[in-house]
Amino acid sequence: MKIAARLLWLAAAIFALTAPLFLERGPLNDLWNLAFAVILASAWNLLGGFAGQVSLGYSAFIGIGAYTTVLLSLKDWNPFVTLPLGALIAAIFSVIIGLPAFRLRGPYFTIATIGVAEAIRVTASTVEFTGGSSGLRMPADTFDFNANYFAMIGLAVVTVVIAAWVKRSAFGRALAAIRQDIEAAEAVGVNSTRFKLAAHALSAALVAIAGGLYAINFQYISPASVFDFRLSLSIVLMPIIGGVGTIAGPIFGALIVSTLQIKLLSIPALRDSFLFVYGGLLIVVMLFEPQGFVGLGRRIGRLVHA
Amino acid sequence: MISVLLNTLLAAGLYATMAYGLAIIYGVMRIINLAHAGVMMLGAYAAYALFSRFGLDPFVGLVVVAPLFFVFGVLMYAAVGRRIAGAGATPSIESLLVLFGVWLVLQNFAYVVWTGDTQSILTGYTMKSIKVAGVRLGVPSVLVFLASVGSLIFLNVLLKRTYLGKAIRAVTQNRDAALLSGVNAGRISAIAFGLGSAFAGIAGAMLATLMAFTPDFGRSFLLKAFCIIVLGGMESVTGVALGALVLAALENGLAAYTSVPTSLQDAVSFALLFIALVAFPQGLPSLFARFERRAAIR
Repeated sequence: MKIAARLLWLAAAIFALTAPLFLERGPLNDLWNLAFAVILASAWNLLGGFAGQVSLGYSAFIGIGAYTTVLLSLKDWNPFVTLPLGALIAAIFSVIIGLPAFRLRGPYFTIATIGVAEAIRVTASTVEFTGGSSGLRMPADTFDFNANYFAMIGLAVVTVVIAAWVKRSAFGRALAAIRQDIEAAEAVGVNSTRFKLAAHALSAALVAIAGGLYAINFQYISPASVFDFRLSLSIVLMPIIGGVGTIAGPIFGALIVSTLQIKLLSIPALRDSFLFVYGGLLIVVMLFEPQGFVGLGRRIGRLVHA
Repeated sequence: MISVLLNTLLAAGLYATMAYGLAIIYGVMRIINLAHAGVMMLGAYAAYALFSRFGLDPFVGLVVVAPLFFVFGVLMYAAVGRRIAGAGATPSIESLLVLFGVWLVLQNFAYVVWTGDTQSILTGYTMKSIKVAGVRLGVPSVLVFLASVGSLIFLNVLLKRTYLGKAIRAVTQNRDAALLSGVNAGRISAIAFGLGSAFAGIAGAMLATLMAFTPDFGRSFLLKAFCIIVLGGMESVTGVALGALVLAALENGLAAYTSVPTSLQDAVSFALLFIALVAFPQGLPSLFARFERRAAIR
């Protein structure tokens, strides 16, 4: 069972990496979107799932990555070279925010993250160097779909591998202890703030790189696109629908949400119903199966065995 | 100076109405009601519908909006609230996310019914103003202030003078003790949800007379309401009023005395929310209590 699952993941990764050889641009774009979603969901899951710190402010990191890439590319940097820098800035920012915010527990932390992300969005649409609410355009001839595709797929694989490694490591066990009972974790010597900061920084860096790639692919960014609250929302939604705190959950969630998005957008009558679908899924999952589809799968598995 | 003070006062009345709804539900059920933003938005559209269909003045319309949203809140409690009632001292992240889902559904409902176009309510007095102590004040803002004060007085009388109010306060202070002394906590929770939602509806309907709105409207006001109840110490009535005054004073002061652009004002109040949560999680009243204790020791 374990080996079969591993082979399946390997096959999926190989398929995604060799897809440009035999697929058209349309489906490749869908795969790019899926990889983007997988990165966001799996990276969020490091803090939100493993450590149980639900942040509704992850669009901030996408925006930081995207703006770093565009602003430096406009100064004649190679766009791909800007990616690690965006990751670094996002990680530093995550620590600056995390230091005070991680003193807050549970929902108070969540509310604080909404406040921070919204403050950044408003600021980015007002100050001058970000181009205000009209946004920024990448310099011409920086567009290279194939390079971007491989980078995005590669980053998705790396993110999932990191998540799998974290879950198994002492780091992951510390995060699990924090999620289950933060006082008990502190009592046995887990420095909860330090571990939360590390998970926050790691996931912020991954999300920021994805944000940079997003900017290169779409060639244009604005506060309304990369700092959008709905982006934060779908980032949270994917792991929750799939199964929070697991490796496969965020990937399933990303698959479900990005498929839904493509399908809904292609049916005119349903184009305006995605909030309804998102909200409905969120309510149903939280009320009836807080472990998401992975939890549902396990439940069915137990029924079949019994 | 006087104009800043008056404008602060007017804004504070509205802010307090907005925040009380959130504070009641938090107090009784230990739930952070993210759907509050959606209910405020629906309140705005309800006032709009009453005004455009039946020509009902938005302030007269409050008489319809308030009971309507009370019922809506009770129904919301029956549908989801009851399943997520927090047992512990701190709210659960699950309840937050469920109500977040409710907010999204409400938003989508408004998109379907009223489309995403910007709407506004234009009455005969929308552009009129009156002079108070030499300061020109918009007639809608003054009416909003009066209606806010009226609803706050109503709430205060309800909480202080009636059995229901005492029961609400009892559950807020100690749920278990209230249960032991025979308070039906389920029913009180339902009523608290109804009251909270009625106040959100009133606040939304009043906001609609002051500014244009879309189904996305409400998010920035939700954050401001949070900011206020955090400043106010989450559950005390006077605390909320104090928080509303502080936020309104900050916003009006910034606009009047600094060159911070108005578009950045929201960023300031969101940042204040963050600072308030981190720096004084027990609210301003606790800060004063701390000073008093320190002074008493000396």
